[in-house]
Amino acid sequence: MATRTLPLSKRGFNFETFMWAFTRFTVIAMYGLILAGLIGGLIVSAQTGANFGDILYWAFFPNLAENPLGQIWMTILAKLMVIAFVLSACGHGVHGVLEILDDYFTSELARRWSRNFIITYAVVASLIAIYIIWTK
Amino acid sequence: MGLKRDVSLAAALGYKGQGPYLTYILHRIGGSALFILFTVYILSLVGMESMQSLMGNWVFQAFMLVFGLFHAINGLRITILDLSPKLIEHYRIAINIEWVAYILVAGFALFVVLRNALGG
Repeated sequence: MATRTLPLSKRGFNFETFMWAFTRFTVIAMYGLILAGLIGGLIVSAQTGANFGDILYWAFFPNLAENPLGQIWMTILAKLMVIAFVLSACGHGVHGVLEILDDYFTSELARRWSRNFIITYAVVASLIAIYIIWTK
Repeated sequence: MGLKRDVSLAAALGYKGQGPYLTYILHRIGGSALFILFTVYILSLVGMESMQSLMGNWVFQAFMLVFGLFHAINGLRITILDLSPKLIEHYRIAINIEWVAYILVAGFALFVVLRNALGG
């Protein structure tokens, strides 16, 4: 099978190209945050003698888990990482859900309203999540 | 544009690429499952007890892990192939590797969830 590649300069930077890049970069950000969480959990586990379950809990629920070393910077870092993850997931998910809905809604009106609804939902849910994660 | 879908799921799964199509449709199901998880997560953060108990329910956890992990692993494969277009000609091999990785990771995750559910 011949490989067909088109350089970015010839594609044009339209909305679809932007969203394609945005979706890829947000998912890379999520992988990076997961990896950082796991490595951070492993480093902390060496100091606290924690098991693998604790590491996964710290990595994926750092805002809910008890701070293992009791240091303020770690609490702030955990909150910032969770907020970054939620925002990345939200941005990535909005585009994904819109792609699926666009396949099933064929009229312009339905597409416009589904788009308005999903984007509003994402903004509101993100704001609520940021507020709760930061203040809890 | 008219909307006419009279193709059964079984027929759709046999459509052209078969394996690649299966990953495509499972990716969408996984994405939708993660969208639900995101909503439940936000609502449980807000303090809704029903959502918190749903997050702790082993059936919910197993469902989310099965579909969510597939979405994550398949997404990694898509990203790698997108960012390295020369690898696209090996995409069927990439899908096979993806299935092996998925079965190992999802199998381990399901084992942990079921062991906890059964009080092990």
